[in-house]
Amino acid sequence: MAAHFDTEYQRLEASYSDSPPGEENLLVHVPDGNKSPWHHIENLDLFFQRVYNLHQKNGFTCMLLGEVFELVQLLFVVGFTVFLANCVDYDILFANKFVNHTDSSKVTLPDAFLPVDVCSASIRDNVTVMFVLMISGVFWLHRLIKFIYNVCCYWEIRSFYTNALKMSMAELPYFTWQEVQARIVEIQKEHQICIHKKELTELDIYHRILRFKNYMVAMVNKSLLPVRFRLPLLGECVFYTRGLKYNFELILFWGPGSLFESEWSLKPQYKRGGNRLELADKLASRILWIGIANLLLCPVVLVWQILYAFFSYTEVIKREPGSLGARCWSLYGRCYLRHFNELDHELMSRLSKGYKASSRYMNCFLSSLLTVVAKNVAFFAGSLLAVLIALTIYDEDVLAVEHVLSSITLLGVCITVCRSFIPDKHLVYCPEQLLRLILAHIHYMPDHWQGNAHRYETRDQFSQLFQYKAVFILEELTSPLVTPFILIFSLRRKSLEIIDFFRNFTVEVVGVGDTCSFAQMDIRQHGHPAWMSEGKTEASIYQQAEDGKTELSLMHFAITNPQWQPPTETTHFISQLKERVQRETTGDRHTLTSLSEPRSLIANFLAGPPSLASLHLGRDGSLTNHGPVGVSDGASALRSLSVSSMRGSCSSTHRSAGHASSASRAMAGSSTDARTASSGSSVWEGQLTSLVLSEYASTEMSIHALYIHELHKQQSGGELSRHTWHRQDSDDSSEGGSGGGNPNPRNLIPRSHTFPISTPGPIPSSNSGPNPDRGTTPGQEVRPLQSNSQRRYGGNTDSVGPGGRVVRSERVPMGGWAEEGHGGRHPDTVPEERSEDDMPPNIHKVT
Amino acid sequence: MNCRSEALEVSVEGRQVDEAMLALLHTILLHRSTGKFHYKKEGTYSIGTVGTQDIDCDFIDFSFVRVSSDELDRAIRKAVGEFKDAMGNGMDGMGQISLEFYQKKKSRWPFSDECIPWEVWSIKVNVVNLANEQERQICREKVGEKLGEKVINIVEVINRHEYLPKMPTQSEVDNVFDTSLKDVQPYLYKITFQITDTLGTSVSTTMRRLIKDTLAL
Repeated sequence: MAAHFDTEYQRLEASYSDSPPGEENLLVHVPDGNKSPWHHIENLDLFFQRVYNLHQKNGFTCMLLGEVFELVQLLFVVGFTVFLANCVDYDILFANKFVNHTDSSKVTLPDAFLPVDVCSASIRDNVTVMFVLMISGVFWLHRLIKFIYNVCCYWEIRSFYTNALKMSMAELPYFTWQEVQARIVEIQKEHQICIHKKELTELDIYHRILRFKNYMVAMVNKSLLPVRFRLPLLGECVFYTRGLKYNFELILFWGPGSLFESEWSLKPQYKRGGNRLELADKLASRILWIGIANLLLCPVVLVWQILYAFFSYTEVIKREPGSLGARCWSLYGRCYLRHFNELDHELMSRLSKGYKASSRYMNCFLSSLLTVVAKNVAFFAGSLLAVLIALTIYDEDVLAVEHVLSSITLLGVCITVCRSFIPDKHLVYCPEQLLRLILAHIHYMPDHWQGNAHRYETRDQFSQLFQYKAVFILEELTSPLVTPFILIFSLRRKSLEIIDFFRNFTVEVVGVGDTCSFAQMDIRQHGHPAWMSEGKTEASIYQQAEDGKTELSLMHFAITNPQWQPPTETTHFISQLKERVQRETTGDRHTLTSLSEPRSLIANFLAGPPSLASLHLGRDGSLTNHGPVGVSDGASALRSLSVSSMRGSCSSTHRSAGHASSASRAMAGSSTDARTASSGSSVWEGQLTSLVLSEYASTEMSIHALYIHELHKQQSGGELSRHTWHRQDSDDSSEGGSGGGNPNPRNLIPRSHTFPISTPGPIPSSNSGPNPDRGTTPGQEVRPLQSNSQRRYGGNTDSVGPGGRVVRSERVPMGGWAEEGHGGRHPDTVPEERSEDDMPPNIHKVT
Repeated sequence: MNCRSEALEVSVEGRQVDEAMLALLHTILLHRSTGKFHYKKEGTYSIGTVGTQDIDCDFIDFSFVRVSSDELDRAIRKAVGEFKDAMGNGMDGMGQISLEFYQKKKSRWPFSDECIPWEVWSIKVNVVNLANEQERQICREKVGEKLGEKVINIVEVINRHEYLPKMPTQSEVDNVFDTSLKDVQPYLYKITFQITDTLGTSVSTTMRRLIKDTLAL
């Protein structure tokens, strides 16, 4: 304590106990206090997810009610099944046994019930029933606890909405998500929800909500997840169910021992390349155990699935038998078609808009053989049905005859099924046009579909995205049986690739945590030279996102979030693309005339019949005036122009295809699905602008998607063969990583099926267009055209590199396709005091 | 997650560990402490004064400034002592000591109060063995220089205008500041350490996460 007296810095004695009189007023502070409890939230991921969920579920009460009913439903399903199995005397119900009533001869329902004591005794004696009851009891309790927990959490979110965002629950359904988001960004300045930055961006919020979904989308995009199988009889098929998805997420993201240590950070050992083989072994054994657990639990899950499907679908089938023939977007389709950073509601509204066109497209492919058979079956069934109905009308006692009622029902179902195979006489189909219309909404499509829309292969592949509901249910039912085998035999082999994927494609963003690097939508890192980012991208093949995902996602995000400020190169890319599209729309006719089909198609598309366009514009005139609030003049001009012309042109294509429904109606329909159906209130008026804006945005995105696809088709010409569609499980890639002794990383890039080898396959040249007969034209005809277009674009934009060569050798990431020792020479980031083999993740300081 | 994390790394000899740790921890705490608050009736307060003192190290050519509060010093010495014991004396090894500043948040009945960290300083320590006295002399100076750099680093970080909990009202002062000391009032802090062998999450946090995960299914 000698030091205490040596120094001149000494504490004033007793200053803490009481200050001398008169000094009190010298320095007085006012606490700013934590009036809002919303500063510095611990788990922002969960917080934003909950804010989003509450918005999507239309407020607290709706959500609460929904969850309560789910719990009740669960009880009901179990209780009712047990009751049906044990407490009903079926002999009485089927009238095999007679009840001896003295007073009346009628059999009533209560007669068929067994007395309570008999019933409970039989339940108690039955071991399996007790087992099932116990399991479901535990399950239900778990759900109940979770429900209570959720209520507490969401109550907090509710008060966040009312107090911080100043939105009452009653008007929440009238706000779009973009508005909610804008307010969150605004209050960040005041409350500092996130402490890393002064200001939040839209991208931060999206990253947090969609962190794991982005990883899933990227993994499906890079064909990492085993969802595609080649079966001996069925050929190639896709199997991706909710159960499988749940297991994937359990293994990778949140289960015990998963790759992530918390919602926002990957475990540090997975970020280093040093012991990737060990980690892969560990992951493989974990997958094995989870697979075995699945196998053990499979009876329970299976029974549950069957019961649940039975109770939820029988009623629907009885009411409208056609519903099983209806289609829905498959789970795989939703993953394949999803942009990076696309929220659920955005995806769903996009897919719903594409639904009509898609089902029409699928209806084009009615087998004429089946049609003949169906017509005749329908005829015979119809005549039987007619007779039975006529007899019933004459005397309803006919119904009492055994099996008459059931045969009427069966015949009815049969006719409905048959009718779905008989095409409408007055319809004319143009698959190519339809596919283009679909593309405008779904935004992604393998290259080889274009020009092959009329082929059965295309249809079969499209049906993997857009499957029958019946198939969907069937897959869900078989899922408990198949999932363990997929996990054990298929996913386990991929463990090294998975480890490599997470190491190579995880970036740490300040204020967000570890995210999938694809979700940064950085053209330079993940752009694909064949998709407009030629010369701008530095990605190796391993790093490129397939199908132009990076580019399209970027456009989509920029268009849906106009306030977002992307980094400069990205801004450059966006503005360049927008400018090009705008040039098309303003119609420089003299430059367009010389062009090949796709561009002029867009020109046609955008020009549309003037009368129609003006008509639509006239009708929506008031909207267009409201629309471009807060948007720069040029963009708004483009927007209003493109929307009106899009409407006109869409209906024109429809008309040419001979369909009654018009696109403008579809557009209008979508605005109703944006839950503004209750019109007339003042709230509705206020929301008009943002709704119209989002409507414009989706149309603009459609145009951009079409444009990018056309351009891609032109650029890649006859040589495009790198379609992800036929990509196989590229096992050789992992071998190249683990056992490779070759020091040259270029040679290590495996010539797998994913590699762009120039095989002029059945891919059409760019000018074949809707004419299917020229689909097999070899590449010669295309080349001059391709060079022509390249020169043209090169003249316009100086940033397209000469020849568009991509520098690969340096940035090949470790693992996957490069060998281990290469990591030390990684140019990016080797901070001091680290060993050579510790390859750190790419750390981006994004501020 | 929603907290800043700063990392420091030092290589020292076995006997220098506690002094080096004390120097760094005290430097951080010096800037993260205030005088005691005296609340007045109108919701205002005045701040008491804080004394500082210079401390000279025995095994390092270095002196640092710390808050002259014996209680605080005792608490930190205790933590550092435990850390050193866990490291084992005179052995090669690595360890990490982290100083976490947090905030308490009152929550509703079924849950306990949450402690939400807003800044974490983690100091990695490499312990090296030296062969002879001459090397020790060099090390003594080297470590002193290094520590000086680290102190400058710390001050730079602290000088940035970044998130700090807002000044609380009287009822909430316990949620932000550690008011148990009678002469100084640091932000609520927690010192934890890890030895390399056991690097990885502790059992309790794993359990907590497991429960939370199952609830959030």
